[in-house]
Amino acid sequence: MEQVQDDYGRWYHPYHLESGQTQKHELSETRFWVTLLDNEWQVRWERDSGETDWTEWRQSISHVLPVGEVKTHRFVRPDDGNQIIFMPALADRPTMIRPYQPLTIPAGRECTIYVATLVWLRILVGRTQTQLLEMPLAEPSLTWVGRSTMDGDLCYTAPTFARLVLDAVPKRPWRVITPVNIRNRRPEPLLLERFSLPTPLLPLYRNDRRQLWTPKVTVICETDIAEARLKVSSKMPVEAGECEMLAAPRTRSERGVLIKTLDRIFG
Amino acid sequence: MEIWQSLVGELTSINWGAWIRVAVLLVVGFVLATLAARSTTGFLRSRSSRHVTAMFRRVVFYAVFVIFIVAALREAGFAPDVLLGAAGILTVAIGFASQTSASNMISGLFLLVEKPFEIGNFIEVEGTIGEVIGIDMLSVKLRTADNLYVRIPNETIIKTRVINRSRFPIRRLDLTIGIAYRENVRRVEGLLLELARSNSHCLEEPRPFVQMTAFGPSSVDLQFSYWVPADKVLEGRSEMMEDIKATFDRENIEIPFPHTSVYAGSQSAPFQIELVSGKGAKQDVTHDEK
Repeated sequence: MEQVQDDYGRWYHPYHLESGQTQKHELSETRFWVTLLDNEWQVRWERDSGETDWTEWRQSISHVLPVGEVKTHRFVRPDDGNQIIFMPALADRPTMIRPYQPLTIPAGRECTIYVATLVWLRILVGRTQTQLLEMPLAEPSLTWVGRSTMDGDLCYTAPTFARLVLDAVPKRPWRVITPVNIRNRRPEPLLLERFSLPTPLLPLYRNDRRQLWTPKVTVICETDIAEARLKVSSKMPVEAGECEMLAAPRTRSERGVLIKTLDRIFG
Repeated sequence: MEIWQSLVGELTSINWGAWIRVAVLLVVGFVLATLAARSTTGFLRSRSSRHVTAMFRRVVFYAVFVIFIVAALREAGFAPDVLLGAAGILTVAIGFASQTSASNMISGLFLLVEKPFEIGNFIEVEGTIGEVIGIDMLSVKLRTADNLYVRIPNETIIKTRVINRSRFPIRRLDLTIGIAYRENVRRVEGLLLELARSNSHCLEEPRPFVQMTAFGPSSVDLQFSYWVPADKVLEGRSEMMEDIKATFDRENIEIPFPHTSVYAGSQSAPFQIELVSGKGAKQDVTHDEK
């Protein structure tokens, strides 16, 4: 008999397990179980791509382990704490945003598109919040962005509707919303077919509605597409509301890295 | 007694203090060179590639050690200018005597300058594929996938064709797939491209593609090409082939085995089968009847 402790799972929220208890989570394409034993933590997970259509993060605590063959990962308990926290993180590679239908920005105009990217899950346990593991909540696809197959970067890919209205963007606990402002200052229209979002350079925030957000990213295209400039705002967008930071950027925006990323903004 | 006295005289005439200083200089030089090389490794490990780290470690070690060797020789009473002159003559003599070694050393220099591969790369040399674990003065060391240690002289590498399999971050895999003549090629192409879309190792860009390559003796041959990250070549190939087999089985697409049809021409009569009577034939028949 499963005992439901909380309807929905939450980021950065301390859950407490007793020895022998298992917490089950269902979010995105991932189903995982975290078990506390006297001397160890155990994590099990499985994926069922495309079969689930959850819109919320469901979790429950019980003494029931998953049936069937689910691989178990065991970790020695770092301390006697029984607390567990789930933290989100942005992708560790740039994410290629590819609108299903290409979007044309006329000469001298600008637009803001809202893109939602997948988050990685970090499991922190004990009083010291030791990280057990980190995993993407769905199997990310890879793509290549660069001038040639010799020179470029591997990126994750995120097909998107490139929505121009925030209300139309589905708010799911495993997606991070990034407003991307694209300014076309060229004398000719800009066809937006692919766009590389430098996710490792972005910090991750949560607003008071438990939605995940990043600061606004502004891309200014003045002459050549390859020479577009990118700026990550230091403030959170107004539409996100009151926010608290959950994760710092994975990579510091050193000049060299930024230039390299900028060089490949539009693939 | 006289012998003993002359031996003692010889031993006391040796400047032991100078030789001890020489020994101390060599030992200290070796220790300091090792420490300096280790420090260089520690400093460079997180800042540059394994190749550059190994190269600098060696340069620092020899530079420090050679300084102490020269100091030790001076302490032992050898004049450096005389030594250099002797070294010049020796070099010529040794050069003639050891052409192979000299050739390998010079080839090693070219390898370091040209950098066709680095430590950690997977290369193929004359049919041997392995990870480069050392680029030394005389040879390059490889570790093959089945964990064999292979030493290849530098000269061989300079002369022969070297394929660097991990120079670029992505690789294209080309699978040759034969399907039966009765199958719809367009449908098979669609299924293969769908497999590429759903495989997590397969890159979206550059786009995968399928093309017909031949009307084979038993099958229509297709080439299915897709790109994977360079470190996922094995998984990318194996998983895709498994998926293709499973999909073709599910969709009833035939992967034909080689057929051989003997055709005697449209105007020719059917082959005549003649039973040859003889001892052996009789025995066979007898055996069959049993």
